[in-house]
Amino acid sequence: MKSGVSKHEMGLLSRILDRLCLTPLGALLLIILALLPFIPPFGEEYMLRWLTLIALTAASAIAFDLTAGFINIVNFGFAAILGLGSYTSALLAVRLGLTPWVGMFIGALAAGVLGFLTGVLTLRLRGIFAAVMAWFVGLALMGLAIKMVWLTRGPLGLRVPRLVQNEANQPYYYIMLIMLFVTYVVCRWTTRSKMGLAFKAIGQNMEAARTSGVNPTYYRVVNFTLSCTIAGWLGGFYAHYMGILTPDLMHTSKTVEVLAVAYIGGRGTLWGGAFIAFPFLVAMELIRSGASNMPGINLVIYGLILIVVMIYLPGGVASLYYRFLYKPWGKFWKFMISYKENE
Amino acid sequence: MLKSMFQKIFEWLKSAGGITVAVSVILLALATWDQGPYILVNTVVTGGMLGLVAMGLAVILGVLNIAQFAHGEYFMIGGLTAYYVITPIQNYLTAHPNAFLAAVAPFVAMIFATLAGAIAGALTELLCFRPLRARSRANWVMNSFLLTVGLSVILVNGDLLIFGADFKGIVGYWQGAPLSVAGVYVSIDRVMAFILALAIVIGFWVFMKYSRTGQAIRAVAQDELGALMVGIGLEWIMVLTMALGCAMAAVAGASLLFMYPSYPTVGLEPLYMAWFVVILVGLGNVMGALIGGFMVSLLKVLTVAYVGEGWQFVIPSVLIILVLIFKPSGVFGSEVRGVLDQ
Repeated sequence: MKSGVSKHEMGLLSRILDRLCLTPLGALLLIILALLPFIPPFGEEYMLRWLTLIALTAASAIAFDLTAGFINIVNFGFAAILGLGSYTSALLAVRLGLTPWVGMFIGALAAGVLGFLTGVLTLRLRGIFAAVMAWFVGLALMGLAIKMVWLTRGPLGLRVPRLVQNEANQPYYYIMLIMLFVTYVVCRWTTRSKMGLAFKAIGQNMEAARTSGVNPTYYRVVNFTLSCTIAGWLGGFYAHYMGILTPDLMHTSKTVEVLAVAYIGGRGTLWGGAFIAFPFLVAMELIRSGASNMPGINLVIYGLILIVVMIYLPGGVASLYYRFLYKPWGKFWKFMISYKENE
Repeated sequence: MLKSMFQKIFEWLKSAGGITVAVSVILLALATWDQGPYILVNTVVTGGMLGLVAMGLAVILGVLNIAQFAHGEYFMIGGLTAYYVITPIQNYLTAHPNAFLAAVAPFVAMIFATLAGAIAGALTELLCFRPLRARSRANWVMNSFLLTVGLSVILVNGDLLIFGADFKGIVGYWQGAPLSVAGVYVSIDRVMAFILALAIVIGFWVFMKYSRTGQAIRAVAQDELGALMVGIGLEWIMVLTMALGCAMAAVAGASLLFMYPSYPTVGLEPLYMAWFVVILVGLGNVMGALIGGFMVSLLKVLTVAYVGEGWQFVIPSVLIILVLIFKPSGVFGSEVRGVLDQ
């Protein structure tokens, strides 16, 4: 993000936006998201509920992309780690009466510790081992959540106190938007620091990175742990938003959902998955409810899009943006996308 | 002569593979002594088919370097095809009893299932992996793995869309009184499933070891570039391998139809179990996968017998995690390049 212009030559607005890692266009989209509840069709309760869950998926996609897009490790137990955060926070609230606001962070810590352990054990091996190990850790976690009925009530569902004593969805929507934004900023700050450079080096060519004195295992573990921590934090929100937790949350198909969004959005961009989540998941939901006599058609389309993107558009939707929209068309557009010649 | 053979066996017993096999056999013996012979029978019967599914997975992993996530879906395709072939025949048989047809019909169903699996596998290679390979081979292991994830989503939901979510199962392929083995009654279907698995494994082994095509497949598994240089048609071998691996999953799905009625997500359990096997024995170790099939099957049976129903995912997962931590190349060692060093 370094430009030829030095910091104090930029206006105040640009400086703030730069610190928040947003282009003016991105900020505009975010403001539109924040205003959505006041635009008629989106103000309905069920719409807000969708949007909140989509924003959760978008935030998950960002955290997922941090590992998948930068260090090329696919965390196949992502949903289970998110679920661990959910269950930790929920159980603390139910059994010990801890306030969810603190519980969410303890959940994040628990997920981070598990992520750290998984990472330390497998990230010195090649990527596929970490993916498979995370997958089995996820399976084991889900199995535990199902079988430890005395603690988690298993498939019966655990009733969890909600985050705010309010039945309306609007406060949750704003909390989720803030969490989405925080997730983005944390990931972006990490990836544009020196550490992010190391991540990219490892993701592109591990041997070359190692030759240049980058310790791959260290950086991969840091990255993996951070991603898992964020997942646990988001999971805490999920628990206290839904009000009921079942082990289904940890199923591999949930990971696949996040994975598809992150990959269709564009790996290694962070914003791609978050951006595409909204139109894509709304479209999927419309197809699902529109073609209710054809169960599964939405997921077939889902899988087809994933495969086509994997084969023919490896950069995802974000690559389309860079190919077609990232152009110096006039002063206003140049400002909106913060176009820089030398990039 | 005899002494050196003993020495060799002793040496092997001291290796990781030997220890694991020995411990498994001892555990099996102890459990059988404690709980009755049904443990032994269950292990052996399901182990054969599990080994078959895992071998398909291992072959695809070894030759094509694809970590299949959609392998269970070929199992599902096999079961589905067999169901739609056997049901009309069985309906016809209830109207017109015919001993010969009744004995042959299950084989017809299984042959159709095998063909369906092989065709599905070949199509997968042609439509999905070939374009991906042509486009880029960077990060191949990860990208192809994710491709199979998408494939799995499509196949599961396509099945749901076309054939519906109901359970499509049969009571059994062969009529007749169950056989009595060591005091346990085993249905003919189970016995046949085991015999079939053994026959296919032996046939596969002979094919891989002695036929020219089998040797070509092994050559590609060892060194792709080298195989290309000595004039092996790489593309054809890849299609063939994919078809073979998927057909093995499909035939397992067909012959276990009486245990696993066909429904969209039926493939999940065989997939997990096959992955357990493949990780346990070492990625891409084809013959090890057969032994591993029996070991994982034993583990599953023991878990159900001693810990309880529903734990059979937790305990093998924990064990596999331990294997990944302490011996990531598997107990029999891995022969795959690429998965380890790419």
